[in-house]
Amino acid sequence: MTTKLDPRKIAQLLTQTTRQLDASTLSALADARQNALKMQSARAPVFALSTGRWTHSLMPHSANQWLLAGLIAVVFAASAGYWHHAQDQQISELDVAILTDELPIEVFVD
Amino acid sequence: MQISVCQQNSLIVVFILLFLTVTPASAAPEPWRSLSIAQQEALAPLAQQWDSLPESQQHRLSKSAKHYSRLTHEQKRRFQERLTAWSKLTPEQREAAREKYRAFKKVPPEKREEVKKMVKQEQERKAQQSASGVPETAK
Repeated sequence: MTTKLDPRKIAQLLTQTTRQLDASTLSALADARQNALKMQSARAPVFALSTGRWTHSLMPHSANQWLLAGLIAVVFAASAGYWHHAQDQQISELDVAILTDELPIEVFVD
Repeated sequence: MQISVCQQNSLIVVFILLFLTVTPASAAPEPWRSLSIAQQEALAPLAQQWDSLPESQQHRLSKSAKHYSRLTHEQKRRFQERLTAWSKLTPEQREAAREKYRAFKKVPPEKREEVKKMVKQEQERKAQQSASGVPETAK
């Protein structure tokens, strides 16, 4: 036997049950709701691009996330800087080698 | 731990600055007078046309010139002798030459010696021809 659940009836039942709760329980529930709402508002985006939800989900929200993102950015910047410098150094050494080799540059130039 | 809007914005600015420093900036012009004495000595054959060279080429040549002081006398002579011809090549030709040079360095030493020998013989033959005034035979 299957029972069909009517959401409206459930809501009514919950409302009726809530009315029967004692004052201290209601107050505790109200406090819990307020606390939950406060936490929700603190997590609201303070910097979000207006293009859509996905940009918001990409943005770091907590200080720890920002710290991690900063660390990744610093590591990335340092690696890219080192790679660029190494590449530059390699090319200049190669140029000097071509310009000073026993073989004339015509051998290597089309 | 919460973070203020001001702190967030500062971090964003820091990230942007970081990425800007990472992006290879377009080479700034390097006037002849801004080069060190050692660099000027190395690049002397290009002194006249230096300021008209593309900025990227100035940057590359000035970097190469930093190695000049530790070259032998013979290497210095070759460097200066070839500099003008090298500077007249297109960036693509220079890149192709680098590729060829890299490939040549991977060839076994005995093969490299053979090539050097052949090139030397060819140079001597040309020198003899030009000394005797005989024109080069058509290929």
